Amino acid sequence: MKGNYLGELEELVLLHVGILYPEAYGVAVMDEIEKQAGRSLNISAVHSVLTRLEDKGYLKSKMGDPTEERGGRRKRIFLLTAAGKRALEEANELRNQLYSQIPKMALQFSPVVVRC
Amino acid sequence: MKSVPPKWADRFLQWYCRADLLEEIQGDAYELFYRTAKESIRKANLYFIWNVLRFFRIKNIRKSKSSNHTIPSTAMIKNMLVVAIRNFMRQPGHSFLSIAGLSAGLTCVLLIMLWIINEKSFDRFHTDTDKIFKVLTHVDADGSFQTYDVASSSMDVSSIPEAGTLVSVSTGTRWPHELCFRPEGKSNECIYLNGVYANEHLFSVFNFPVLKGDANPLKGASNIAVSEKMSQALYGATDPIGKTIKIDGSQDVTIVSVFKNAPSNSSLQFDFALPYAVLQKQWGLNDEVMARNFFNMYVKTNSIISAEKLTEKLNDIRVLTEAHKAQKVSYQAYPLTDWHLKSKFEGGKNTGGRIEYIVLFSVIGGLVVLMAVINLVNMSTARATLRAKEIGIRKVTGALRSTIAIQFMTESFLFVFFSFVISVLLAQLALPYFSNLTMQSVSLTLLSGSVPIYLICLLISVALLAGIYPSLIMSSFQPIRILKNQLTSKSSGSQGFRKALLIVQLSVSIIIIIFGGVLYKQLEFITNKNLGFNRSNMIRVEPTYRLLKKFDAFKNELLKNPTIVSIGASNDNLLNSAGANTGVTWLGKPEDSRVSFRTIGCISEFPATMGLKIIEGHDFQVEKTDTLRTEVLISKEAVKTMGLKNPVGEEIKIGQMPCVIIGVVDDFHTSSLHETLLPVILFRQSVEAVSALYVAFKPGTTEESMRALTNTYKTLEPDYTMKYWFQDETFDEMYKTEIVASRLVLLFTVISLSIAVIGIIGLATFNTLRKTKEISIRRVFGASAAQALSVLTREFLWVLVIAMLVASPLAWYAADHWLQGFAYHTTMPWWIFGATCISIAVLIIFIIWLQGMKAIRANPTETLRSE
Repeated sequence: MKGNYLGELEELVLLHVGILYPEAYGVAVMDEIEKQAGRSLNISAVHSVLTRLEDKGYLKSKMGDPTEERGGRRKRIFLLTAAGKRALEEANELRNQLYSQIPKMALQFSPVVVRC
Repeated sequence: MKSVPPKWADRFLQWYCRADLLEEIQGDAYELFYRTAKESIRKANLYFIWNVLRFFRIKNIRKSKSSNHTIPSTAMIKNMLVVAIRNFMRQPGHSFLSIAGLSAGLTCVLLIMLWIINEKSFDRFHTDTDKIFKVLTHVDADGSFQTYDVASSSMDVSSIPEAGTLVSVSTGTRWPHELCFRPEGKSNECIYLNGVYANEHLFSVFNFPVLKGDANPLKGASNIAVSEKMSQALYGATDPIGKTIKIDGSQDVTIVSVFKNAPSNSSLQFDFALPYAVLQKQWGLNDEVMARNFFNMYVKTNSIISAEKLTEKLNDIRVLTEAHKAQKVSYQAYPLTDWHLKSKFEGGKNTGGRIEYIVLFSVIGGLVVLMAVINLVNMSTARATLRAKEIGIRKVTGALRSTIAIQFMTESFLFVFFSFVISVLLAQLALPYFSNLTMQSVSLTLLSGSVPIYLICLLISVALLAGIYPSLIMSSFQPIRILKNQLTSKSSGSQGFRKALLIVQLSVSIIIIIFGGVLYKQLEFITNKNLGFNRSNMIRVEPTYRLLKKFDAFKNELLKNPTIVSIGASNDNLLNSAGANTGVTWLGKPEDSRVSFRTIGCISEFPATMGLKIIEGHDFQVEKTDTLRTEVLISKEAVKTMGLKNPVGEEIKIGQMPCVIIGVVDDFHTSSLHETLLPVILFRQSVEAVSALYVAFKPGTTEESMRALTNTYKTLEPDYTMKYWFQDETFDEMYKTEIVASRLVLLFTVISLSIAVIGIIGLATFNTLRKTKEISIRRVFGASAAQALSVLTREFLWVLVIAMLVASPLAWYAADHWLQGFAYHTTMPWWIFGATCISIAVLIIFIIWLQGMKAIRANPTETLRSE
């Protein structure tokens, strides 16, 4: 299991690649993360996570068409693989399952108790 | 217009980035750049650069394409070594020349390095040596500063919070610092040893470890601490602690400790240490007068403080005292570790010292290494044509450029390593001789302390320097062209580059030779300079008190010998007078004038013995003519300084002593020629107060005179061994540094010249080989031998002319700078410039002629038929 462990940033990026389908590439993912999650990342960080996910087999990529805004260079478009989809589902499931096990009491906050 | 991101950053990205990742990474970076550029170009530029730097990760960096080939296998390394050794053996003469040149150069550098390390290590062995300061005294004498390395012994630093301990040391070279000690059991033998008088902190502040006995010996008023050497000399193997020594035959002191001999890199050298109480008794001074003395004062601070700050605090009125301030005295705190190398002061400012020689020899050492490296580079690139086929075959069978480069680097390392081993051996062998040459024990060996680290750094940098150019050039050969024999001279390394190297080499040789010549000329000038008095055929004898009492008997006895000319006595040595007197007054002296005079007390025969020329008035008579006042002779310079019209008969005062001028003597020097001469006053003194006797003898009778002198001394002073010096030797001693320097420069001149000659021989050989056919064809068409020779020499002569143009001004500058350090110096010897250039030109033509004659004499058909 250790090798398939999905880090927090990895999960975030993986989700965004899914959201942006079929136009997920470096800069787009970076922008989307900033918009949705409010986290500003450096492009190189996004880039290294994307390639790492590809190495793990959660993503596959193909070269897109050259565009003017990139000085005539092509984009690398990332797509979820079946393994990627499963990894997301597992992560999601695990989280929901764990969340549901939290006793109700623990989630009840009275304004009197919280005083710090 | 569309903006573009910074070019260099883009290029950097393209350079490092993996090819398969480049497009997307660059694309992302560009996209972000264009987007930001809509707001601000500056911001976009910065953002782009930032992104490029952030993308610089191991994962994104381009792997070397042939990563599995860059490290050659052991078999390949073996092959390289074999080939290198075969090449070496095939041309033994050439290899020998290269190695000889490099070894000579490296030996030089090793020796210089040892010497410099030794010089720099002075006084660094003390604990917290950066917290120890020497107190210097500057006296403002009418704008011309006199600097002394002593300060008031009664100095009180209690008002300075940082100043911890004050060490007071009195040093000297004569009585009472040099004393006669008698070894146990041999009471009429005398061993002269030099020591210091110091306060009790000497052994606690400085690192002179006490081996046996009391760790703080100078507390007791009648204690003495002796060095191991002294203990050995006086008592042999027996334990000296508790023994009593009679100092000057009167004061008893007890040996309480034995300390380790002061290391040779200490500026304080002494064989015994005594408390001040002993000195005070010897001088017979009361406490008040004693406190007025100036000694070497050292301050050890509690905390790190800059010398400037401490100086400021020392000049506070509480430390300096009103009395000293009134005499325009100021103190300076000087870091102890700087003293050895920077002890020359002019106008109250440091103007260098031995450090100048350190710099000089560092430069020379660097230049010599540079020359040796250039030689190696020149020789191996010149040889490249001969090895082109080897490289071609290697490349055809699959060697990469990097493999070839590594091969030549390996060869260079092998070469340098081999020379290095030889030079380490040579340096080790030369070390005793070198110590002798530098008149100093270079105590370091090659394998101690941090020296090996320096050696390894030197080895690696020399090997890299020597290997990088040849390996780049040779690995760039195109195999097809080589194997088709189309290798032009251009592709075997740029001719221009090689010539530039030769120019550097020749310029360096010329500079060193010219500088050496000027140095020699100046030394010759010094040795032949008329100082205004005799220094040859003159013996200086250190008198004892008893001898002075019997001076008349001594004089009469000696003068009975036909070889002895005359005997004089004074309280100072004219060659090396110390101190200047600002307390001379005369009628009409300006109120605020603080002119320095040299005041020398002497007996009536002294001026005649020294050969001083009386130009006005008369010499001292045997009987005093003026009984009320002290008779004085003054120098011409002194007449000028005082502005006297008719000096003879004028009255002056030295301190409180009334004097009358009875004559004027011609100017003479009283110290090193580095300094301008001071006005001199010779005053008549009773013989009991002198400190040196001078015996002039007839030239060529040194032996007889010495015998007569020794015998007379023995009969009158049987208890002491006579201490004497030849004046001309003392004179040479004064220019020790210059003499050492000139010897070293001579050595380096020879070495650098031989390296240059080796380089020229090597280049000339290959040049001749290359031009053999050209010469043969010229010969066929009827060129004379001289014309053929001119083909070979032409390019070398151009190189030589440029080298001369470059070297002459530099040599002039260096030599002139050095000469300015002397108040009296020779004129710039221009003939040395001409002679150097002409002789180098002749030498080069001679070498080329030697090499070229074979090619010129050979039957053209022989050479032309070979293909």
